[in-house]
Amino acid sequence: MLLKGIGGLLVISASGILGILHSNKLSLRYKELVNLRRVMQMLETEVTYGATPLPVALYSVSKKTEGPVSRFLANVSEHLSKRSFYTLKEAWNDSAERLLMESSLIKADIEFIKSFGNILGCSDREDQKKHFQLFYIQLRHQEDSAMEEVKRSAEMYRSLGFLLGMAVFVVLA
Amino acid sequence: MNNNFNISEVLDYLPKHIKTMVIRLSKESLQKIEEIRLRLAKPLCATGCCSEIFIGADGEAEPSGVNAYIINEDDLRYSMQLVCNFSMYSVEEELKNGFVTVNGGHRVGICGRAVIENGKVKTLKDISYMNFRVAKQIIGASDKVIGYIIRSPDSIYNTLIISPPQCGKTTLLRDVIRKLSSGGEEKLFRGMKVSLIDERSEVAACSLGIPRNEVGMRTDVLDGCPKAEGIIMMIRSMSPEIIATDEIGRLEDANAITDAVNAGVKVITTIHGSSIEDFLNKQSLNRIHKEIFERYVVLSRKNGAGTLETVLDGKFNILFERI
Repeated sequence: MLLKGIGGLLVISASGILGILHSNKLSLRYKELVNLRRVMQMLETEVTYGATPLPVALYSVSKKTEGPVSRFLANVSEHLSKRSFYTLKEAWNDSAERLLMESSLIKADIEFIKSFGNILGCSDREDQKKHFQLFYIQLRHQEDSAMEEVKRSAEMYRSLGFLLGMAVFVVLA
Repeated sequence: MNNNFNISEVLDYLPKHIKTMVIRLSKESLQKIEEIRLRLAKPLCATGCCSEIFIGADGEAEPSGVNAYIINEDDLRYSMQLVCNFSMYSVEEELKNGFVTVNGGHRVGICGRAVIENGKVKTLKDISYMNFRVAKQIIGASDKVIGYIIRSPDSIYNTLIISPPQCGKTTLLRDVIRKLSSGGEEKLFRGMKVSLIDERSEVAACSLGIPRNEVGMRTDVLDGCPKAEGIIMMIRSMSPEIIATDEIGRLEDANAITDAVNAGVKVITTIHGSSIEDFLNKQSLNRIHKEIFERYVVLSRKNGAGTLETVLDGKFNILFERI
C-alpha cells in the first residue's frame, strides 16, 4: 500500500512537472521573441546609423545583451571573423539551427529569422532600414501567436500534466 | 619591403580555393604580382611587371590561358562579401567610386552594372569584374631623392615629381611625405607639418578615416576632397608648412598650388610626363605655375618602377642624372 502510494505520487508529480515545463517553454518563447526585437533594434542602429561592418556590429550588440539570441549573434560574428563561411547567409543559417536547439523558439520562428539572413548586409543603408522595419512587422505576428499560445495553452498544460498523472495512477491502481 | 607579406594580405580577400591556387605560384611570380583579376567566365589572371599570367586550377602558370581556372559567379560573390566585410552598406560611398580600400591600403576595383539615381551612380550591382591591386608601399623609396628636397633643418624646396603612369610616382610621394613629416637623420631635419590632400585616396589609402599607409606623424590627411578646394581648406584650417598632393593637371589645381606658395607654404606634388620638356610644354599651365618649383624629380621604369632619371633645380641645372 505504501509502495503504491509512493509510486502514485511519483507518477503524478512527474507528469505534473512535465506539464509545467512545457507551459514554461511556451511563455519563454514569448520572452525570447521580445528579446529578439530588442536585440534587432540595437543591430539596426549599428547598421543604419553607424554603418558598422557586421562582424563588429554583431559582436558589440551581443556584448550588450544576453540570452540565446545574444549568443546567436555572437556565434554569427565569430563565424564571420574566422571566415568559416563565405557568405553571411550561410553563417546566419548555421547559427540559426543552433539557436533552435538552444532556445525555446519554435521551427517557424527560426525559419523567419533565417529569411532575414538573405537580406542582412546585402544592400545600402536605406534599404537595410526598410528590411528591418519589415522584420519588426513579421516579428509582431510571431509575438502575437506566441502570446496567444501562452494564454490558451499554458494553463491547460499545467493542469493537464497533473490530471494525466492522476489518470495513469487511477488506471494502474 | 617584403611583397610576400603584402600579397598575403590581399589573398585573404579571395575565396580559399582561389587563394590556394595563387599561393602555389613560384616565389618570383608572387613577388611581382601587382594585380589579381577576376572576370566572370574568364580565366583567373595575375599581372605584374609587364607580364601577365593566367593561373590554372592546380596553381600552374598558364601562359596561353587555355587551361586556366575559370571564374564563376560564386567566386565573385564570395570575394565581394569578403571585401566589403559582409556588409555592403558599410562601403556604400566607396562603391559609388568603384573601388574599396581594404586593410593594408590595397585597392579592390569593382565593376558591374551601375544603378543610377538622379543622374548619379547610386551603387553597383551584378558585380562581374574585380581587380585586386596590391598596394606597393615601399618604405625607403625616397632615400635617394630626399637629400635633394630638404633645404635646411626646417625648410624644403618646392618639388615636382614628373613621371609617366605606373612608374612609382605615388609611391615616391608617399615616402617623401613620410620622411618630411616624421623628420629624422637627414641634415638634422626636424619634421614639418604636412597637409595631404588625397583626392583619390591613393597616397594615404584611408579607409574609415584611418590612413592605411604610413604617411608620418605630422601629417593631416584630407581624404577624397578635390585638390583645388582642399588646398585652400587645409591652408585655412590646419596651418600646414607643407602641402602635398598627387597629380596636378588642371588649371585650378595649379592656381591653388600658386596660392599656397604665395601663402608661404611649401609644396610637393606630382604630374604626368616623361621628361622636363613634357612639363614645360603643358598647355594647361602658364609661366607662373612653371616657375614656382625649385626641384624637379623625373622618374622612369628603365630599371624597374621608380627608377630615378634626373633631378633638376629651379633653373633646370642638373643635380643628378642616371648614368
